[in-house]
Amino acid sequence: MTARNRELLGLIPASLLVTAGFAGVFIQRSNALSNVSLTYGALFLGLCIAAHVFIRLTLPRADPYLFPLVAVLASFGLVMIYRISPTLARQQAQWFVLGLVLFAGTIILFRDYRKLERYRYTIVLVSLGLLVLPRLPGIGYAANGAYLGVRIPGLFVFQPAEFAKIGLVVFLASYLRDTRQVLVQGGRRFLGVTLPPLKQFGPVVVIWGLAMATLVVLSDTGSSVMFYGGLLAMLYVATNRLSFVVIGLIAAAIGFWYLGTHIPHIHARVETWLHPLNPRLYHAPLGSYQVANSMFAQAAGGLFGQGFGRSALSLPAGGALLPFPQTDMIYAVITAELGLFGAVAVLITYLMFVARGFKTALLARDSFSTLLAVGLSAMFALQVFVIVGGVTRVIPLTGVTLPFISYGGSSIVTNLVLLALLLLISDRARRPA
Amino acid sequence: MLAPVSVALKFGFLIVLYLFLMWVAWSALRDLRRGRGGVVRSDRAAPYDATGMYDAASDFAEVDEDGFEPRLMVQRAPGHENGSTYEIPTRGATLGRGDVEIQLDDPFASAHHARLSREGHVVVIEDLGSTNGTYLNEEPLSGPQPLHPGDRIRIGDSEFSYEA
Repeated sequence: MTARNRELLGLIPASLLVTAGFAGVFIQRSNALSNVSLTYGALFLGLCIAAHVFIRLTLPRADPYLFPLVAVLASFGLVMIYRISPTLARQQAQWFVLGLVLFAGTIILFRDYRKLERYRYTIVLVSLGLLVLPRLPGIGYAANGAYLGVRIPGLFVFQPAEFAKIGLVVFLASYLRDTRQVLVQGGRRFLGVTLPPLKQFGPVVVIWGLAMATLVVLSDTGSSVMFYGGLLAMLYVATNRLSFVVIGLIAAAIGFWYLGTHIPHIHARVETWLHPLNPRLYHAPLGSYQVANSMFAQAAGGLFGQGFGRSALSLPAGGALLPFPQTDMIYAVITAELGLFGAVAVLITYLMFVARGFKTALLARDSFSTLLAVGLSAMFALQVFVIVGGVTRVIPLTGVTLPFISYGGSSIVTNLVLLALLLLISDRARRPA
Repeated sequence: MLAPVSVALKFGFLIVLYLFLMWVAWSALRDLRRGRGGVVRSDRAAPYDATGMYDAASDFAEVDEDGFEPRLMVQRAPGHENGSTYEIPTRGATLGRGDVEIQLDDPFASAHHARLSREGHVVVIEDLGSTNGTYLNEEPLSGPQPLHPGDRIRIGDSEFSYEA
């Protein structure tokens, strides 16, 4: 079977999932089996096939599993958001369509994605500009103490950190490709550890410091972990020096310890993470209510879950039992309704997506492509880790989106652009020499 | 009344999901097994065949009837194995960082750095207006120069020798 036919085959399960999921939610909501769920499934299949035909025409050799894996994740997202609120699901579907348009646009515009290298300083400046945008008076606004969103009145709301993610990876891939040899050869050895030369390492440190400082100002710790982890992964792949990673991790540990004890907003997050059932924290505004209830919801899911639409999300008297179920807590809702098996399946899907991304990096023939694929995959993996880890109380909860599943236009659009870049890299890598 | 359907849908959902994931995992595994000698090959995974020739180079290598086979041998170049060779086809070859026949993974190389062209049994090297210049036997290149066996071509930190 050719790669593209395999991709087409992989889209069928995704549309079956949409159909089954919507049917399940319908039954729970109106106690009727309606053929509307079939319509939704068919619509979703139609959209995916349109994207598939586009990939077939433009990138015939691209990895065949990336797109079906994304379709499965998106179907999860649509079903769960529909279960939470049909209005939000309609909006999410619109964002998905817009995302696919941008996906196609990226593939057409950056057919030779290596021309991105030429604009690397523009890209990094725009990305950093996007990061500080939410702090500007007038358009920026804070949610739960973090400055995450930009609101253009009457038009739309978006989260610029999502877009900055890709820009920073492109810059670092291009910059590290140029300096990786110097970073290794110019390094000095100290106590048996290779230290990078300051001159070439300088800009990396500056970018890191700027991103960190911006994020401290914005209080968006989740994205800061993502960016920093992505930077370390790319540095490791570019130089093959474990010492750089170790130095970076030590620096990060000191930084996060300082932030965790000295910035009130972050300190509060650490406290709710350590003591979610403490009554004082549980009843405090922005306290541990969300984290504690998410754990109860996940426990209620058991092995196979309570079934579509059957978990409790709001109190009988009104008010949310699980705040932000469509963004932060969507993983907890999935666990509650599909159980451990459903939640593990989501994680395996992410794992396979990331594995395909690293495979693409291995196949790529030039180091810019390798670094770009590694950076995008690592950033994606870290984003999943930050939010799933937060919801399952492995690490303090910080608000980033669960890629392709959470409600949010910026997130779904950015991640589809990320997918487009991975497909472009993999198509070029698999082209016969 | 519809409760059994609801439960069936939930398990159906999970079964389809796991079957899909098993299919992807199985195909990926088969890919891996086949990968070593298989359809998709990267020059990094399998750089040589028995003659020490790059796979990537072999499809544009054309051997003349009279056995004239000009080659570039890697002396030292980032991203290339020392001692590997590139054949120079009759239509010539470009060196550079971009999408060219002989790709240099060198920070000092330009996208299209230098051009090797064949005129009969003579190979001529020409700098394509690169930023950091091309060195022929450690002399900066100005204008086209014919190559002689044993000549050393240096671009940044990458050095090749010409063999015929």
